[in-house]
Amino acid sequence: MIIQQLLNGLIVGGVYALFAIGFTLVFGIHQVLNLAHGAVFMTGAFIALYSVLGGWPLWAGFLLAMLGSGLLSVLIEFGAFRKLRKSGPLELEFGAIITSIGAGLAIMAVAQKISNTQIMRFPFETMPVVIFEFFGLRVSALQLIMAACAAILVVGITAYLYRTAFGRQVRAVAGNERAATLVGVNPNFVYFQTFFMSGALAGAAGVLVGLAFNSIHFVMGEPYLLRGFVVVILGGLGSIPGALLAGLLLGMMQTLTVAFLPSGLTDTIIFSLLFLILLFRPHGLLGKPEAGAMRGR
Amino acid sequence: MLQLFIAYQPLIDLFLLHSGLALAQYLVLRAGVFSVANAGLTAIGAYLAAGLTLKAGWPPALTMVLGAVAGMLVSMLLSLPLARLRGVYQAIATLAFVQVVLSLNVYSESLTGGAMGMNGIPKVVSTWTLLIALAGTLYIVWAINQTRLGRAFDAIRQDETVAASLGTSVRYYQTVAFALSGGIAGFYGGLEAFHSYSIEPSRFGFEFVVAILSYVVLGGRRSIWGPVVGTAVLLALPELARPLAEYRTLVYGLIMVLVMGYLPRGVYDTFVEYLYRRRIARMDRAAMAQSQGDAP
Amino acid sequence: MSTLVLDQVSKHFGGVVAAEKVSMQIPPGRITGLIGPNGAGKSTIVNLITGMMSLTAGTIRLGDRDLTTTSPHEISRAGLARTFQNIRLFKEAPAIDNVMGGFHRHEDSSLLASILALPSARAETRRIRARAAELLERFNMTRYASFPAGGLAYGHQRRVEFMRALASQPNVLLLDEPVAGMNDVEANEMGVIFKQLAAEGMAVLLIEHNMRFVTRLCEYVYVLDGGRLIAEGEPKKVIADPAVIAAYLGT
Repeated sequence: MIIQQLLNGLIVGGVYALFAIGFTLVFGIHQVLNLAHGAVFMTGAFIALYSVLGGWPLWAGFLLAMLGSGLLSVLIEFGAFRKLRKSGPLELEFGAIITSIGAGLAIMAVAQKISNTQIMRFPFETMPVVIFEFFGLRVSALQLIMAACAAILVVGITAYLYRTAFGRQVRAVAGNERAATLVGVNPNFVYFQTFFMSGALAGAAGVLVGLAFNSIHFVMGEPYLLRGFVVVILGGLGSIPGALLAGLLLGMMQTLTVAFLPSGLTDTIIFSLLFLILLFRPHGLLGKPEAGAMRGR
Repeated sequence: MLQLFIAYQPLIDLFLLHSGLALAQYLVLRAGVFSVANAGLTAIGAYLAAGLTLKAGWPPALTMVLGAVAGMLVSMLLSLPLARLRGVYQAIATLAFVQVVLSLNVYSESLTGGAMGMNGIPKVVSTWTLLIALAGTLYIVWAINQTRLGRAFDAIRQDETVAASLGTSVRYYQTVAFALSGGIAGFYGGLEAFHSYSIEPSRFGFEFVVAILSYVVLGGRRSIWGPVVGTAVLLALPELARPLAEYRTLVYGLIMVLVMGYLPRGVYDTFVEYLYRRRIARMDRAAMAQSQGDAP
Repeated sequence: MSTLVLDQVSKHFGGVVAAEKVSMQIPPGRITGLIGPNGAGKSTIVNLITGMMSLTAGTIRLGDRDLTTTSPHEISRAGLARTFQNIRLFKEAPAIDNVMGGFHRHEDSSLLASILALPSARAETRRIRARAAELLERFNMTRYASFPAGGLAYGHQRRVEFMRALASQPNVLLLDEPVAGMNDVEANEMGVIFKQLAAEGMAVLLIEHNMRFVTRLCEYVYVLDGGRLIAEGEPKKVIADPAVIAAYLGT
């Protein structure tokens, strides 16, 4: 029974990881919290849904969703964050939060209008309901697809960042933007890439969640944004492997608490955990130790 | 004139309430504390005040004060663990606090009415009460500006290390900031409860955090009028855009993006700074002219 | 007035030795110099004294009070003031506000009086502003009182930081390269003021690179290299010391 829950949790965690990786990628590179990430996630689901409704196959909708979310994310960077960069770092910290919230609200408002505030579903035939059984565990086809997508995307991102020239540039800017520009890296191109990847991952997560719960509505991103904070802090702000690990852990923890504890307590436990982590180990599992705490002595 | 007032009374009340909350948020930010815990503290104040009145029959005036005290004490308690954190980490920790309060609230149905919240709260708070409350809050914030508290807050916010080297205890002053901010937030929770007939947990969640923070950042984080102006802008503009009523959220979001893009210091603060720079430039020119006049 | 005594003070950052067994005395009434090549650890010593860094070993005492593990703001309250090598002013605040910051140690209005803006608290603010204005007048900076500190010329910024340190009426004044970037005329003006302060009984520690300046002002000099004291004594003797010359030339 527990193992079944762990398995379910792993799948849920995979989606959390997709969401969180994009979030932490942007923070690690640009030191900004992009609070419009939830709206981008939601947009992915919308794009996939409307594609399918428009007659396209699911896989095409999925790819389109990733593309669209990536571009939306880039648009947010261009329209919202870019101007702020010129003011000091403190203005950027506050300003980024408000701007991204504003961008998120605007996107959600548009989505609300388009969807008429309805909760929408994928057409019934979109995802065949097939359940596999092995070793006494049940896994649905959907879950397998979710796991596969998450895995492929994570591997892809990691390969991109660690094996390609572009990826090196991204990491260079993350380390020290000034120095990176001195050796010829174009920071704007790096921003474009990071925000695109971040958005694409969120969009993918949105499609998977939309399929999993078969409910798509314009505020679906918010709980994921809040969960996203937990994952990102637990994993270590700025660490992609951390986001992956923490996402999986949170997924498992969530399904276990929902299964075995009174349902209302799940959020209490998760956010208390967040608070405690920040108290005792703000850099999370895999983040850099100087983060978060200050205290000179 | 009276007609206008009656027509807009709900908006005016909302403005008065939210300005107070914005000022409470402004207080902690001014001392360099990046806390958004006030949403949770306001909830505590609201539920305590409403709960004691509804269930134990205590007079609202008393329970609102108790709500303020509770807000203050919980806030001070929070300041202990938060003292180690800075910047976004502090913000996220306080956000976690808000979520914990929210979920515990929903869970403790017998105590708080759960997701349905509390109903039938007597409407004891009128526009006048809110006006007086705001005046009082502004007085406290102005007082801070005039005395060593404001100077200490500013020093700590601008450079903690230097502030410490000048004899300012960062811990002490940030605790004071937490206490004042939490007390005001708790009090305003009570005001909200006794003004709106009912309260429910969702009102004190992420949306609250976002709204209040927006008022302050949009209006200005330095001057005491910044939060008030920010509240006015964000509450009034969507109203003025009545024809676009359907797109209120869209307008709201766009305002936030545009103001932050062009006036990152906030509407009011940018204006204040503009006046300041003009004054300095004038003084500089005058001094130049004088010294040139002196030269042969 | 008491003497500031460092006894076998060490600071290690993992494997890096920032200071090693440094013993110094900074008595009242004279200007003590601390010199050494760049990176010798002079600023580290000041950071250790003011509590910004914790000691790995050794003790720091002011008279009979042990300051080794005291927090920075308590150390300030014990009567120590410092200036920073790389000027740390509140850049966006007017010059006068920066100077007013120095008076913090002497503020004593109660918390309640401050929250309610009682007359006593407001009077205190007026007093402090007046005294800050006096200081600015003394240093010929009245014209710049309302200017944002970050917009002032480098030499003026140094003066503002000095005024801020002076405002707290310290018993011990730690000056970290206070005349760097000033021309000779300005530097000499400041030197006269330093001498005056020492004559009035203050204990002054002067870190400087300008050798003529140091020789002229200091009665006793410590030389630091790689975190260790390599020489001490009267300026003329120390400068002629072959070890000191070697340290500066890098042989």
